[in-house]
Amino acid sequence: MYILYIECIHNIFREISRNTDLFYLFVYFAKETDAQGNAYIIVYGGWMMENVIELQNIHKSFKGFQVKDFSINVKKGYVTGFIGGNGAGKSTTIKLIMNLLQQDSGTVSLFGMKYKGHEKEIKERIGFVYDENVFYENVTLKDMKKIIKPAYKNWDDKIFHYYVEKFELPLNKNMKNFSKGMKMKASLAIALAHHAELIIMDEPTAGLDPIFRRELLNILHELMQDGEKTIFFSTHITTDLDRIADYITFIHNGEHIFTKEFYKIEEEYAIVKGKLDLLDKETEQEFISIRKTNVGFEALTADKNRVANIFGDFVIMEKPTLEDIMYYTKKGW
Amino acid sequence: MFNLIFKDILIQKKVFLFYIATLVIYLLVDISPILIVVVYSLTFINTALSYDEKDNANILLNSLPYTRKEIVSSRYVGVLIFTSLFIMLTYGGRFLLYGKEASFSWKAILLIMGLVMVAISFMLPVFYKFKRQYLVFFAGALVGIYLLMKNLLVPNLNNALRELTQKFLTLQETQMYFLAIFTIVILYIGSWLLSIRIYERKAF
Repeated sequence: MYILYIECIHNIFREISRNTDLFYLFVYFAKETDAQGNAYIIVYGGWMMENVIELQNIHKSFKGFQVKDFSINVKKGYVTGFIGGNGAGKSTTIKLIMNLLQQDSGTVSLFGMKYKGHEKEIKERIGFVYDENVFYENVTLKDMKKIIKPAYKNWDDKIFHYYVEKFELPLNKNMKNFSKGMKMKASLAIALAHHAELIIMDEPTAGLDPIFRRELLNILHELMQDGEKTIFFSTHITTDLDRIADYITFIHNGEHIFTKEFYKIEEEYAIVKGKLDLLDKETEQEFISIRKTNVGFEALTADKNRVANIFGDFVIMEKPTLEDIMYYTKKGW
Repeated sequence: MFNLIFKDILIQKKVFLFYIATLVIYLLVDISPILIVVVYSLTFINTALSYDEKDNANILLNSLPYTRKEIVSSRYVGVLIFTSLFIMLTYGGRFLLYGKEASFSWKAILLIMGLVMVAISFMLPVFYKFKRQYLVFFAGALVGIYLLMKNLLVPNLNNALRELTQKFLTLQETQMYFLAIFTIVILYIGSWLLSIRIYERKAF
């Protein structure tokens, strides 16, 4: 009887998690005995790892560029670095996520909701930092706040002023006199002032000096402490991600190559260096792409252990940087 | 939605003094208040559109919790509010300057509203579909057509228009007014719906 009941619940949960792809289910069974000696089973269960952003089978074509069968998930409570070369489709993806662009087919959902019918609810919870200037140039930050504030239900003036002070932003200067870094900080102050749960940033560090970049990364690091916020962060300065990203999503030519935990990339991928005579048709299959020179080859593999088994001590293996991965993937495509 | 309308005023608040100063001059020269209000309203709206276009405002507004419907609708409602504002400013100014001698008629107000609404009905869908610079082309083309008509078809077009205005202002049949109001309102709503349709499909 108990067993049947539990089976039933378990199946329902499994169906939910399969159909929505929203949750990872964990269920834990325990056998207990009560005072009378009757045995019963306790089920502990819960949902873990919520996806904040889900793109499923997105198709979108433009003149000369298309995104094909594109799916990505962004996990709640983590920083996801979104990498890819110029023209890989990063901005397009961000625009799809922000509903600035509509897909030809496929679904976009944020916080488990679709834009249709939930546009305001979703955008209430998103903060955005764009690469390009989106502020009215002849308006001061003070007036910009007056324009933006009424759009949000849970705007907090205190938080806004806290960050304006912290970032040393001038309230009475026209936005056109703001440097790129200041505009970025202003966007961030706005995002934080309305308690955004998801912060989407399109190339926030491009064009910033190193000191500024480090400052930004520290701020983001601080924000992540409570575990409630999610950051989705596109960049091609991959060293920024070493410091804060938990997950890396890599796209190339409008296709999703992988989404992995940062530490796993280092575990799986390797740069392999060796002599040219090690390469033949068969062994070349082991690599994503190979760069040959007169003295030897350098290649990227996505399966470090396998390559170690095949080549043994004849090759040198090194930890790849994200840049290496981007470079070799682009080459091998 | 009213936040979006308020935004247009906030952005142009520095220019507002300039608007008022020139308005006073025009009033002193005694130019037709109908012309003043129509020109000022259209200028104001055009400036608002140019700010929105120049500064990537579409990206900002669409990233804030507004629907595209609201963004477009705020323009159409805003036009009516701004025009009413300029009507109040102009007629208020005239009253201050000329006292009770200043003419005021409901028909003039109707005419102003009608003209602005007709102009906007054509302007906004073009603005949303193409870029604002095309509006300039359109305006240029309209002036061209106007001049052509003046030269070829109706040599005294200016006078004809003036007479038409006079006729409208002295028209007695209320039925005609209702017909005109009805037509313009239908045109305005049609344009409104068309703009929403265009804007909802737009990519930024």
